[in-house]
Amino acid sequence: MTTTVPLLLFLLSAAIIATVFAVVARSTARAGEVDYARANHLRKVFFVSLLVILAIFLGLTLPRLPYPAEAAVPEQIVNVVSRQFAFSLTEGPGPDSIETWERDFSPLAEVRTGTLVEFRVRTLDVNHAFAIYTPDGRLLAQTQAMPGYVNRLRVVFDEPGTYNVMCLEYCGLSHHAMRGVVEVVEEAQ
Amino acid sequence: MNDVAATDTYPAQMTRVTLYWVAVGLVLFPVLAILGLVMRTLQAGFFAATPPEWFYAVMTLHGLGMVGVWFVAGLAAMSFLLARYVRPSLTVSWIALGMTALGVVMLVAATLVGKLGVGWYFLYPLPFFSEGTWPDWATAALFGALAVLGVAWTVWSGDVLRAIAGRYRLSEALGWHYLSGRDGPDVPPIVIIATVSCIGVLAGLVAAVVILLLIGWEVLGGGTANDALLIKNLTFYFGHMLVNITMYFGVALVYEIMPAYTGRPWKTNTLVVLSWNTVLALVMFAYLHHLYMDFAQPRWLQVLGQLSSYLVSVPAAVVTIFSTLVLTYRSQMGWSLAPTLLYLGVMGWAIGGVAAVIDSTITVNQAFHNTLWVPAHFHTYYLMGVVLMILGGVYHLAVALTSEAENVKRSRVMAAHLVVGGYGLMLSFYLAGADAVPRRFAAYPMEVANGPLLAGISLVFIILFGGLGLYLWDTGRLCVRALRA
Ligand code: HEM
Ligand SMILES: [Cu+2]
Repeated sequence: MTTTVPLLLFLLSAAIIATVFAVVARSTARAGEVDYARANHLRKVFFVSLLVILAIFLGLTLPRLPYPAEAAVPEQIVNVVSRQFAFSLTEGPGPDSIETWERDFSPLAEVRTGTLVEFRVRTLDVNHAFAIYTPDGRLLAQTQAMPGYVNRLRVVFDEPGTYNVMCLEYCGLSHHAMRGVVEVVEEAQ
Repeated sequence: MNDVAATDTYPAQMTRVTLYWVAVGLVLFPVLAILGLVMRTLQAGFFAATPPEWFYAVMTLHGLGMVGVWFVAGLAAMSFLLARYVRPSLTVSWIALGMTALGVVMLVAATLVGKLGVGWYFLYPLPFFSEGTWPDWATAALFGALAVLGVAWTVWSGDVLRAIAGRYRLSEALGWHYLSGRDGPDVPPIVIIATVSCIGVLAGLVAAVVILLLIGWEVLGGGTANDALLIKNLTFYFGHMLVNITMYFGVALVYEIMPAYTGRPWKTNTLVVLSWNTVLALVMFAYLHHLYMDFAQPRWLQVLGQLSSYLVSVPAAVVTIFSTLVLTYRSQMGWSLAPTLLYLGVMGWAIGGVAAVIDSTITVNQAFHNTLWVPAHFHTYYLMGVVLMILGGVYHLAVALTSEAENVKRSRVMAAHLVVGGYGLMLSFYLAGADAVPRRFAAYPMEVANGPLLAGISLVFIILFGGLGLYLWDTGRLCVRALRA
């Protein structure tokens, strides 16, 4: 998801709000009466436009929820296990306890482009979040890792490369150093 | 109420306890703001040898402290103005003050001595997985402080409702007779807002009690591990409520004080009633936007989260913010400091609100969740919103009590500092958020190249924001004089 659109939308709205507030503030230089009938008409227009804008955004965004659709079947599964302060990414089940971590963990998983990959994200201790960053540093997708739950994150990678995994739920002392890697390779023809 | 005898000491006593609350705010705010400066300094890459546990302890204290300080300052200021119509108990206020002080001491000890680094919403089960960073007593102090503050604030908000109930029926205090057209008393907006807010506080604190009981049962009673998703729902229901209600305290001040400066009344009408009742109904569900990235949460709750987050913005925009503009437009406003801060606060609320609504879109949240966009939006409607409203309210009070003439030129210079410094800092957060810089990172790794750069730039703006020192000095002086009088 590109963040340019929401950022620009925000900056534009902020500029409009600041302008309106500035204009109204300046209007006090020539005090007078307000025409309440006109103000109320304007309020109605504002109310309706706001509802329309919100409805448009709901219509545009609600059909695109990031949650897994049961209809689609993933072509590749990666088991993600998190702990303070590391991720394990494996095709097999991966470590099921801190004790067996060293034996069973892998910091890197390899997936193919154009493939529907499902990351099954778990944690052995506290909440973490599994966030995949593109090679050029954009945040591609994320889901939480919550004790007692498996969160399934589905991604189709378009571009090959080394995708960094960082933790996006604060989890303690070395939260900022938690890492994993998803290596995306060109699909074999 | 109307036959208050000349010997009635209530108003003077109310002023006194309010000034003590104000003092708590004026002392803690700059200290906590400096902790913010410390965090940005570390994130900029200065003092790189600082152990990360310091950053996270400071972050926890800053977050809990700020949320707490503005909650109590807002409730105290609103109670003071409310006392024009009803009589909140002074004893309860003093007890709440004492217990709040105790809670603050416990939190300072837990974080600065115990290095407790759980973040302001201490997401279960992190407090119990310190990995040796903080001792058990620090976790105990955290929950102890929450219990003390929870009891104090429940009783205090409950007492405000009790005071309102002494004069109005609940249906009147919520303004329902304006909708039904039945006969009833004139109810000032601040009474309606206070009723909605304090009901909200109590509803939120119920969740806090449940959290404490569930965790207490697990840790002390030998129960099994709690359901982490349930506790996260409860935690954010509580946290979101507390933070939103604090906003409404600030807005209550705007409704009550602005008319004094614009020379136009702000009366309750069906629109005001509709708006605040809608808020009461919707604010309970908006918290769901904090769990969008918990894919295990039932999908209908996620959709409900986006719907209610979108809709709760409508009454705020169409009624409160729009009316502030109508109230001000071509009025005889003289722009002394108090109304300037209130007005700027409403603007910050609007701007922060837009950023919040954008992030409460599930598809956008996938890219913004737990990036610096989150601190960006909540600092906007806190620091540039409710904080300015409350500072404006307090200044109004201080000037009214001492009737000292204001140096308007100096006020202008200071307001300019707050605007430029504040929005500069905000922009550093927004740009970082849009650039996927994670929130709550003690130090940015190489991959997050723009993190340190933006943090460094923000330092300039935070220092500019320090023009606030002038306000603190002035207001503090006035308050001390008012106390002595
Ligand atoms: C000059 C004023 C302020 C500065 C410089 C400042 C700075 C900061 C910084 C740098 C962070 C950490 C961001 C991150 O990496 O996640 C932060 C977090 C936070 N701030 Fe502020 N802040 C200020 C005012 C406020 C105010 C007025 C509030 C009011 C509620 C507030 C509430 C919070 C909260 C709740 C957090 C989150 C703590 C956590 O993640 O656990 N701040 N602030
Ligand atoms: Cu983590």
